[in-house]
Amino acid sequence: MHIAPWLVIAAVVLVVWGVTAIFQKVTTNYISAESTLVLRTVGYLLVVPIIYPGKELFHHSLRAQSYGFLAGLLCALGCLGLFAAMKSGGKASIVGPLSALYPVIVVIFSPLVLHESITLLQGVGVLCGLIAVVLLST
Amino acid sequence: MAFRETVTAKWFWWMMFCLACWGPYALLSKLGSNEISSYGMQFLFTLGSIPVVLVVLARQGFKLERSRKGIIYGLVAGVLSAAGSIGFFAAFRSGGNASIITTATGMYPVVTVLVALVFLRERITWTQVLGLGFAIVAFFIFSL
Repeated sequence: MHIAPWLVIAAVVLVVWGVTAIFQKVTTNYISAESTLVLRTVGYLLVVPIIYPGKELFHHSLRAQSYGFLAGLLCALGCLGLFAAMKSGGKASIVGPLSALYPVIVVIFSPLVLHESITLLQGVGVLCGLIAVVLLST
Repeated sequence: MAFRETVTAKWFWWMMFCLACWGPYALLSKLGSNEISSYGMQFLFTLGSIPVVLVVLARQGFKLERSRKGIIYGLVAGVLSAAGSIGFFAAFRSGGNASIITTATGMYPVVTVLVALVFLRERITWTQVLGLGFAIVAFFIFSL
């Protein structure tokens, strides 16, 4: 059976982010969620000397660079939204599974934004994945 | 009545705000990764996080809680999160479909539940067992 490289990489990401979530959970036993977000970015900064691509990065269009910048901005803002939802009375058992549904937005908008489509079988896979993540987050 | 209560609740709209940020975050990640390397994307992603973090820090009076364990675990989580993000961008760059990659990587609670079971001795519920089953089916379908 041939497994596509992107699926192997996605599986590695799944494992790394799964372990990350454990560390984040343990972190919030000692400090606030907001401070955890700050430390996460400090962790990102620690990695920068290893990954900094040099001047080559700035040869790309400003539009392409802004995609990366905005992705970081929106991801962090989304985290703040999640914390605010928890603080304003949202139950973790509801807010957790709901927040895990963000791939739905990607499924809805990727035909428009990315001009990508998925087959019916892949759609079933996505549905199973979404059910899985909701069940696991409860 | 419960529906009306939910959609008028403050937490619900904060949740919608969260989803309205994370959905585009994944779409922009794919768009950026089409042109820029995963390392470059992670660098820009880090720069993008900084304004939000500065606002958070300012609201806290530029102070963090003095917990050595909290700081160490938080930094480890940050470094791991960065490593995962680099993989996320690399998966996009290697030509995978954004919907599938976002769903596949979004299933990371599978690992969280299993690690918590083994190392933190947390109990696993039947709902979570069912969730693991669905995750296995999803990955099987994605591999076809």
